[in-house]
Amino acid sequence: MSLKVLKYLLRKLLFLLVTYIVAATIVFILPRVVPGNPLSEILSNLSRVAQANPEAIEAAERELMKQFGIGKPWYSQYVEFVTKALRGDLGTSISFYPRKVINLIVPVIPWTMILLLPATLVAWVLGNLLGAFAAYKRNTWMDKGVLTVSLIISQIPYYWLGMIFIFFFGVKLNILPVQGAYSQGIIPGPSWSFLLDAFKHYILPFSSIVVSAMGGWAIGMRLMVIYELGSDYAAFSEYVGMKDKRIFSYVYRNSLLPQITGLALSLGSILGGSLITEIVFNYPGTGYLLFKALTTLDYPLIQGIFVILIASIYTANFIVDFLYAIIDPRIRLGQEE
Amino acid sequence: MMFAIMFRPLLRNRKFIVGLSIFTIFLVLGIFGPVFYRVDPTDMTWDYEHPPSAKHPLGTDTYGRDVLAQLFNGIRSSLYIGFLSAVIAITIGSIIGTFSAVKRGIVDDLLMAVTNIVLTTPFILIAILIASYMKVRSIEIVALILGLFQWPWFARAIRAQLMSVMSREYVYLSILAGYSDLRLILEDLIPTIATYSFMSFVLFINGGIIGEASLSLIGLGPTQGISLGIMLQWAVLMEAVRRGLWWWFVPPGVAIVAITASLLVISTAMDEVFNPRLREE
Repeated sequence: MSLKVLKYLLRKLLFLLVTYIVAATIVFILPRVVPGNPLSEILSNLSRVAQANPEAIEAAERELMKQFGIGKPWYSQYVEFVTKALRGDLGTSISFYPRKVINLIVPVIPWTMILLLPATLVAWVLGNLLGAFAAYKRNTWMDKGVLTVSLIISQIPYYWLGMIFIFFFGVKLNILPVQGAYSQGIIPGPSWSFLLDAFKHYILPFSSIVVSAMGGWAIGMRLMVIYELGSDYAAFSEYVGMKDKRIFSYVYRNSLLPQITGLALSLGSILGGSLITEIVFNYPGTGYLLFKALTTLDYPLIQGIFVILIASIYTANFIVDFLYAIIDPRIRLGQEE
Repeated sequence: MMFAIMFRPLLRNRKFIVGLSIFTIFLVLGIFGPVFYRVDPTDMTWDYEHPPSAKHPLGTDTYGRDVLAQLFNGIRSSLYIGFLSAVIAITIGSIIGTFSAVKRGIVDDLLMAVTNIVLTTPFILIAILIASYMKVRSIEIVALILGLFQWPWFARAIRAQLMSVMSREYVYLSILAGYSDLRLILEDLIPTIATYSFMSFVLFINGGIIGEASLSLIGLGPTQGISLGIMLQWAVLMEAVRRGLWWWFVPPGVAIVAITASLLVISTAMDEVFNPRLREE
């Protein structure tokens, strides 16, 4: 790897670190500035939420006071919070007292990853192929059909498509399971019966994300390819008599670059949508945990999930930047900023 | 006169007409639906979970509330939230983008640093976090939360466009003539970004409507009133989907998709008409 790529990546990393600190700062400031003092709200809610065990409530209350650093000056609270967040110490949950927030989040993350990553990548690849195909067939009925369908499905929220799938395949046809990641009574493990069962549960949430995420990529790719086909190099290649297929493969590769940037930028909204899809499917991932934390007003857990999700998004962003640096010769050769 | 020339090609574009018609239908339903269909959407009756009938054209929910009345009111609030959040987002985005482009230097660096940070941070997550701290959330507060973090991509696009416009001769001329920054922005710059801003405004409305639905489903929507997201949330909470009560969860979703897709079609059609590189031969 050249020095230029390293420099580029280092700058990106620095930017993400700054962004992470800003995000942690927002997480720190919010409960302290939002009107209505949520902290006292939590304290008074504690007895209702926690099990009716006065000792546990008292301990949770002390923990909470300590965690929010009540009584200490704000700057030492702040420094403590940010350094702890960077080290992965996210405090203790209220509704699952005395379990540590980080220990609640770590087990659910693989479930979210298993659903989110393949679905996002498959949607991205299929959408790009579809969009490029439409652009290639520009102004034919196929192009118009792809565009119309893409315009509509790109606006379907993942979770609503999930509801429709549950209703159609689960309730009407009754051919696929409609909740959870595996059947109750089956112990997760590397056995065929578990894998088959998990796979059946996977189909509906996975396909609802893939189908509705695909449309947006197809629209974007179609537009990019049309732009590129109108560029000078494409015209030149045509004048010198290059084969259509060859030109198109160049155009396709160039059009993919902005789609990679687009992937980095839309990671957040994809994540948001799939978190809610998890809720609709009662799928035991991060979204479902967040939902439970929200309904019990478990603020340490909410904050913890938020910090982890933000950090994952930034990491994913960095990975995409890394790939971009490898793929784009302009960065490899240091031509771009 | 100028507007007539500008808009005539739009009215010849079939996509634009279709998009505009569908959007207008839902706008009319949202505005006049609750006026003419005078059923209280919060009125609980003993006819609970009834499929569509003459008395309740879209059936009722678990508490016997009329789904059609909820839908009309929901369309109204969702459009209102979308519109309001779009106004907020476009205002912030324009101000930041324009200042960056006009002032350059350190102002530009600072504003773009802030923009990039907000851009990298998923807006729906920040919205969830903020909303979780608010016990009472009016429809306006939800719109505000959604509008406050959506603007970065628009600010960046505006900045890039303005920077290229500002290197043209007529802008140099205005600067030489000693026009103030404000006059420069109003007379030379805003007209060049008006179409793009309008298209972005339309997309921000979509962001607001879908963002509201997401917030509501996770339990952080408006605490008063009915929106399309709130309807979906109730349906999910009451297991309407797994119990096959389609008349409850299908209409709000169809409304969301129809409104946002029609707005997207309008924006796409405008792009095709005003963007010479996309114009069909």
